[in-house]
Amino acid sequence: MTAHLNGDRKAAKRAALRQLPTERREAVAGILFVLPDALGLLIFIGLPMLLAIGMSAFEVDGFGGFRFVGLGNYARMVADPLFWSALRVTLTFALMAVPLLYVIGLMLALLVQKTSRFNTAMRFLFFAPQVVSLVVVALVWQLMSVEKIGVLPRLIAGLGLGSVSFLGNPHVALFTVVLAFVWFLMGFYMLIFIGGLQDIPKEYYEAARIDGANRAQSFWHITLPLLRPTSFFVLVVSSVAAVSGQQAFDLVYVMTRGGPANATLLLITYIYQQAFQYGAFGYASAMATLLVLMLMAITLAFFWATRGGRFQYD
Amino acid sequence: MSDTHLRPQGWSRRSILKAGVGLGAAGLTGFSLGSSAFAADGSLNFMQFIGPNGPSKTQSEWIVHLVDAWNSANDAKITLDYVPDSEYIGGTKLATSFASGQGPDVFLISPGDFLRYYNGGVLTDLSPHIDAAAQADFPETVIANRKVDGKIYGVPMEVEPMAFYYSVKAFEDAGLNENDVPKTWDELLEVGKKLTTADRYGLLFETQPGYYQNFTWYPFMWQGGGEFQQADGKSAFDSPATVAALKLWQDAVASGAAPRQALGGGGSDIAANLASGYCAIQNMGIWGISDLANNAPDFKYGVFRLPVPAGGKYVTVGGGWAFVANAKGKNPEAAAKFIAWALASMSKESIDRVVDWCTVAKSDMPPRNSALKAGAAAFDKGMLGVFTREIHPGTRAEPRLPPEVYKMISDAIQGTMLGGTDPQQAAATASQQIDAFLASYKGAPLL
Repeated sequence: MTAHLNGDRKAAKRAALRQLPTERREAVAGILFVLPDALGLLIFIGLPMLLAIGMSAFEVDGFGGFRFVGLGNYARMVADPLFWSALRVTLTFALMAVPLLYVIGLMLALLVQKTSRFNTAMRFLFFAPQVVSLVVVALVWQLMSVEKIGVLPRLIAGLGLGSVSFLGNPHVALFTVVLAFVWFLMGFYMLIFIGGLQDIPKEYYEAARIDGANRAQSFWHITLPLLRPTSFFVLVVSSVAAVSGQQAFDLVYVMTRGGPANATLLLITYIYQQAFQYGAFGYASAMATLLVLMLMAITLAFFWATRGGRFQYD
Repeated sequence: MSDTHLRPQGWSRRSILKAGVGLGAAGLTGFSLGSSAFAADGSLNFMQFIGPNGPSKTQSEWIVHLVDAWNSANDAKITLDYVPDSEYIGGTKLATSFASGQGPDVFLISPGDFLRYYNGGVLTDLSPHIDAAAQADFPETVIANRKVDGKIYGVPMEVEPMAFYYSVKAFEDAGLNENDVPKTWDELLEVGKKLTTADRYGLLFETQPGYYQNFTWYPFMWQGGGEFQQADGKSAFDSPATVAALKLWQDAVASGAAPRQALGGGGSDIAANLASGYCAIQNMGIWGISDLANNAPDFKYGVFRLPVPAGGKYVTVGGGWAFVANAKGKNPEAAAKFIAWALASMSKESIDRVVDWCTVAKSDMPPRNSALKAGAAAFDKGMLGVFTREIHPGTRAEPRLPPEVYKMISDAIQGTMLGGTDPQQAAATASQQIDAFLASYKGAPLL
């Protein structure tokens, strides 16, 4: 009897669902598709983030000892010269890396956008660093930049520019890490830009050519404006990657450990040191919270500037 | 002496926050905390970077035999939990295990980490399980930095003094021989410059920031009479001896005799630097003997003790790992008994085990007088003999400092060596920072 009633209820539910307007049914299906990923994000990213924010209000010794300090960790942050140094290094890193990634990614895409065997091979080569472990990438760059015997110092010495320590000189080390970072990611952004370029109708270029526009004019007046959505994506994602230190953390960890003289100590590296080397989980959480707020601010600024990622021709 | 104000006050808050630390730690870096540090079968978990299946066959076999021998005679079994040294020494595994309340029952720590774990209240007093004769068998210079209030919290398995290794070929190419090994700092810089060529550096000190770089720099400070703390507990870091030691490393780099970057695994990787021909002299610990035997067996080298400054006294630093037991583990008493049985008993097996570790598995000085006597023949042979006779007698134990102080000193070394900071200014800045830290420090004494 109970089984019969349950069966009736299920059938009624199915019938009710079928009677929903198509739009509602699609919305329900969409939610169901997104739900597993959303739950994963909530449990493995959202919840730890919330707990990390909570932990920033405690002094935590990493062995089960906790003491409520309110905003004490944030006050410590303000008075910590290494925090400001790490913040400055992070912003400098982002200011160098993001424009370089944008320009190089776009240049490569323009070079290899047309389909041919040669261009396909070049695309593969430019993208190849992406399939290599970041640790291996860091080790290769470390070897290339070793004083006296590395490829880069020999190249510089061959040009008569003297001896340069690419990773041992505080004035150069961060730029070397930026180069490795850009080299690793440029293939990925090249692919994104190729996708964007292929979306631009060829008729626009043909019309421009008939009107007498040269290549440079076509680039400035057609390509760049119509690449705005792609540019928006590239700038947001690369800025978040640079400021959060996603790939840069691995590179710095292997290549310099934050040295020389803290010249490559990114905020994410300093957070790692405080949490896992010094056991200051509360202080590290406070800095991580600030980092997340910074990332949110950057993303919101991009959205605000583009009215939520919408562009005039949409 | 431990920092009791940080202890949990209520179970419910503790539980929530402990989960928060674990998950929060994962949230900070995206690392998974999926695996438990506890052995699945209820046995005691021994986390370390030696074996089984570690990179050194002899070391791996030593630890496997040790645990097999214990397990065959005791009810409380030990399970080896091997963690690669890159993840153990410089990584997150041990820290996240404790942060999530799943710290191993037995683990290894160096003096550089002692205060963090002691002040965190997770080290067990091993003294009740070590008889008086065995306690006296450890020289005070070796055991002092593992003791608090006369109680032993860690049993060292080795002593690793620092020295200089040199390439015989590089010396010969420069027209030098073993009589030219430098005995003073001035001679060190001079010989370093003579050995420097277009594709080789004369000298190599560790260049990357970290515990290891600090460890290798300390003896240069001590040689001129420098110390971290005065008798009244205030910082002694701003002293002429400290400034001179900072300047020595700065001069070595500024003169072009020493590089700003090392090859391979850094300053502790002798095969990648000295044996490869990247440098002619390398500041390196005693473990370099076994590293060269394993990785560059045909390389001809010599060893000499650290040169001294004018008017200074010879001192070197001796590091080394120690077995410790987790006071919050499943069975701290059994863990402590295991450690005492393994490395700190007066039985022949225990003494021989130390000799084997220091002569067969590795090349180290023993932390026990009885082991030095029992293995006299091995300790007197070849390069190990040079360490026994000339280098080890001046060994001073690696300092134990809180991580915050370590970082202040590291910044002074990095700033002067690679950043061009004035050594006097760097010493003064670090000293002020150390004083500010010590004013509110409540843990075990710094040594």
